[in-house]
Amino acid sequence: MSVKAARLVVALAAGLALVSCAPSTGSKTTGAGGDQGSGSGTVKMVLWPGPEGEAMGKVVEAYNAGQGAKDKIKVEMTLLSRQDTFSKEATLMAAKSSQQDIYFVASYNVGQYANSLDPLTSVDASNYFPVAVNGLKYQDKQYALPLDVSNHFLLYRKDLLDALLAAKSQWPAYAAVASKAIGEKRDPKPAAEWDWNDYIAMAAWFSKSANPSSPTQYGTILQAKNLLYNTMIWDDVLWGQGGSWTTPEGKANLDSPAAVKAVGVYSTIYKNGWTSKDSSQAEFPETQAALKAGKTAFALQWSAGFAELNDKTKSPLVAGKIAIAPVPGQKTHVHALAVALNKYSENKGAATKFLDYLATPDAMTAYAKAGGIPAMPDVLKANMSINPAFGQISESIDKYGYSVPVFPNTFQAYSKIAESLSGAWVGQQDAATALKTANASLQKLLG
Amino acid sequence: MPKWVLGSPLILFAAIFVAYPVYQGIQTGFYGLSLQNPETLFTGLDNFGTVLTDPGFLAAAKFTVLFAVAVTVVETVLGFGLALLVNRDFPGKKVFFTMLLVPIMVAPALLGVMFRLLLNGDIGLVPAVLRTVGLDVSLFAPNTVVQLLVLLDILQWTPFAFLIMYAGLQSFPTDVLEAAQVDGAGRLRILRSIIAPIMKPIIFAALFLRLIDALRTFDVIYVLTAGGPGTKTTTMSIYIYKTAFESGQFGLAAAASTIVMLVLLPFVPLFVRRIANPDGKAR
Repeated sequence: MSVKAARLVVALAAGLALVSCAPSTGSKTTGAGGDQGSGSGTVKMVLWPGPEGEAMGKVVEAYNAGQGAKDKIKVEMTLLSRQDTFSKEATLMAAKSSQQDIYFVASYNVGQYANSLDPLTSVDASNYFPVAVNGLKYQDKQYALPLDVSNHFLLYRKDLLDALLAAKSQWPAYAAVASKAIGEKRDPKPAAEWDWNDYIAMAAWFSKSANPSSPTQYGTILQAKNLLYNTMIWDDVLWGQGGSWTTPEGKANLDSPAAVKAVGVYSTIYKNGWTSKDSSQAEFPETQAALKAGKTAFALQWSAGFAELNDKTKSPLVAGKIAIAPVPGQKTHVHALAVALNKYSENKGAATKFLDYLATPDAMTAYAKAGGIPAMPDVLKANMSINPAFGQISESIDKYGYSVPVFPNTFQAYSKIAESLSGAWVGQQDAATALKTANASLQKLLG
Repeated sequence: MPKWVLGSPLILFAAIFVAYPVYQGIQTGFYGLSLQNPETLFTGLDNFGTVLTDPGFLAAAKFTVLFAVAVTVVETVLGFGLALLVNRDFPGKKVFFTMLLVPIMVAPALLGVMFRLLLNGDIGLVPAVLRTVGLDVSLFAPNTVVQLLVLLDILQWTPFAFLIMYAGLQSFPTDVLEAAQVDGAGRLRILRSIIAPIMKPIIFAALFLRLIDALRTFDVIYVLTAGGPGTKTTTMSIYIYKTAFESGQFGLAAAASTIVMLVLLPFVPLFVRRIANPDGKAR
């Protein structure tokens, strides 16, 4: 190698070393936290694709053509992939990037992201479900504006359950199956009156392995994949059994008798074959597929799944036969999908104006009309003609809605609980041992 | 013109897109950088200690090594067999050849989604076909899911091993084979004493490339099982991804990546030497 080449290599290495001596974050940092900007110009926003992104697209179009034009603000929305939106946002936040002005966040990660967001001071909480607004508060500050709400329902085959309830001659056989499944004889009940034992007994009754004349192969499908969103569904069982993540003093409480019972609901159903063995890798799409194919009589599912199951073109086998009931135990996880202001934005003034617009009932009515489920109860009630489930969603969130406390590691806690318990849900691990691991992880994350 | 001038664009490219990110990654491992605490705080070797004593990381490392060794061995053997099979003329060879290469043309994440649909017990084609012959299997059940993942990796990546070895066979000196045949050597003898020794560097190249890639496995397993049930199918890449993007612990994730790199790095010269010098003699 010539002397010149050696010099070049040394210069390059020295350059790299110098650059690397800087903090390892900060692609384009803006010091203590962004800039108000001129109050006009372009506002960049991230959202994920799907119903929320599509609905927001319509709202943005309307804003750019109306109020935005008056304010000299143009909103540009980027839809990232549904799987990786939060990963990409996390990378931008870690780099203290000012590339986006408004981030897409949710109740379950707002605590984790709070350091990269500016608190919002002008949100009128009275327009929203309290559970949605409170789920976006961290250390008593409002960090995000609710956009869309998600909760769970018991989706069930009304035709099959009505037939069972009407045929009293089948009740003794049902009582015998229930006796084997839960240790006590029970009569069938309407779905709205189920407790978790009814859920287990019904899962057995509608499974061919326990009742060869069952019209479906399996009673239910459990979403038991090692996925943080599946923890949210299992939480319904935990809360419905009287448990919770933490004690009133804020200590981890996942090794409680209620938690053992909640894991037992899953493992009893799984081990007895009242759900498909493939449930161990099931999540939202697999649950939709099982219900659509008529293989399963009922399941706990996200509210967003109902419309598709009653669409004749998308679900010809079951459309019109599926009904909604509250989750047994009358507790449902609720989270809000939301938008928040990037702490490092260089155009905070204009971004705040757009957020103020999104907080109006008019903007959320446009959002509902475009397919979203806004977090404003009055807007849902006023737009039941668009989606008949709006009424039930509103009632369910109001009466049964529950959200876990927001802390910096909430997102990680959901993930750790799924990791610790997904083996026990499908009988691969003893419930007490798995819950002890989950509890220790949660305690560590609570700090 | 000095020799290095011609190579300088590549050196610059490697410095910007390989050396610098790797350096940054290693450096991040020494800082307590997380979403919860975005300020960079030097923590020395703490992150490395945390990762090395985390049972989750050790379990992921064990699963990854077992998985990678299993799939690499099977894929290399099958790839070699297929290369020998295709290295002769037969009707429909071109179609067969093209079909063989289809799996490596599909993006792994997309392949994961396809498998998820095809193997789904309720709507999947494969379980439906199996049921028609009396086999009611649940492919994603906890006791079969590891075998399923191994099988899917073999289906996806055997064509890659095949392609490398087929290229090697295409440049095989035919006069040596003809001489052996004239001398009355049988097929097995030719394979054992002539083809295998000459193909050794190619086989090592295939083994090396597949092993390195298998140790980084992420896409298909993440889409199908997300590392579960529990942590049963968590690979090191999934562990690192979850640590960075679900837990927001970038310092820990960078430390884990660095450890993986440091463990693998010494194997590279060993393999390269075997590829360059198949007899293992020093040059």
